[in-house]
Amino acid sequence: MNDYTEAEVQRALAEDLGVAEQGITVVRSDAGLVLCGEVESPHRRDEIVRLVHERFPAVAFAVDIGVTRAGAPTEAEELA
Amino acid sequence: MIRIAAVGDVHIDRDVLGRFRPALEELPGQADVLLLAGDLTRHGTEAEAKCVATEFGGLGVPVIAVLGNHDHHCDEVPGVLAALTDAGITVLEGDSTVVDIDGVRLGVAGVKGFGGGFAGRCASEFGEPEMKAFVRATGVVAERLGRALRDLDCDVRVALTHYAPVPDTLAGEPLEIYPFLGSYLLGQAIDSAPTALAVHGHAHHGSERGRTPGGVRVRNVAHPVIKQAYSVFNLAPEHVSPPAPTGI
Repeated sequence: MNDYTEAEVQRALAEDLGVAEQGITVVRSDAGLVLCGEVESPHRRDEIVRLVHERFPAVAFAVDIGVTRAGAPTEAEELA
Repeated sequence: MIRIAAVGDVHIDRDVLGRFRPALEELPGQADVLLLAGDLTRHGTEAEAKCVATEFGGLGVPVIAVLGNHDHHCDEVPGVLAALTDAGITVLEGDSTVVDIDGVRLGVAGVKGFGGGFAGRCASEFGEPEMKAFVRATGVVAERLGRALRDLDCDVRVALTHYAPVPDTLAGEPLEIYPFLGSYLLGQAIDSAPTALAVHGHAHHGSERGRTPGGVRVRNVAHPVIKQAYSVFNLAPEHVSPPAPTGI
């Protein structure tokens, strides 16, 4: 694991059309990479895991990616 | 009062269809118009745009959008635009639209925008052709946004972009990528007209609130930032000029 691997993972997440995620942060830790951020569906999180496993089989990584909530707002912002 | 709903970066594809719809059914009771601040699709295919049309079409309020960088990725912009406009969604790029809300004319001017950075740390139109083209592209779209805002004949003006016009709403993003997230030129364009509110997306790790140097309120409505289907901004009467008296 080095800077180059970190950069390759970051680019793969954006450039692979099955993923196309620019909003995932790749952080190096003692245990390997940690992927953080939010995506629009559980399927997209699964696709990220699949991609990193396939393209970087030697890289240990943890996933801390949530699915963005899509509920109606409970209040408006008053712009007085 | 004008009630403006807004969200950006929804990145719709088949796997997201229906996720926003329950909240969107409530929207007409909460807002008079919905603004979509770009990155409507996952990577800019016509098929994804049709999913956007399904999700955000037929809401019962006007829907006004700009495209984002993701919407350009597959070079299918004409198909993307056709799918959106066929669903009644107004897509702006250097132009504007006016919506009548109970006799008050809301004007929205929009562009996708582009990068370049912010005062003191911005790119210059200097050096290699690629660098000059990058900075020039932002200058051109910012100029179009400014002109569209100034030319609007309305009671209240709102600017809609994908890229950020100020660094305030990027707080949380790595400083190193600010030049790819927005440009001060967009802020300058917004400040060139009496704009009541500026709305943008693009910065998923940014923050919600900021102001242009001229004092215009800026809101980052990227979906991962607002963490709800849309935000609603109520523009109080002081932002809304009374309708001009008609001639006698």
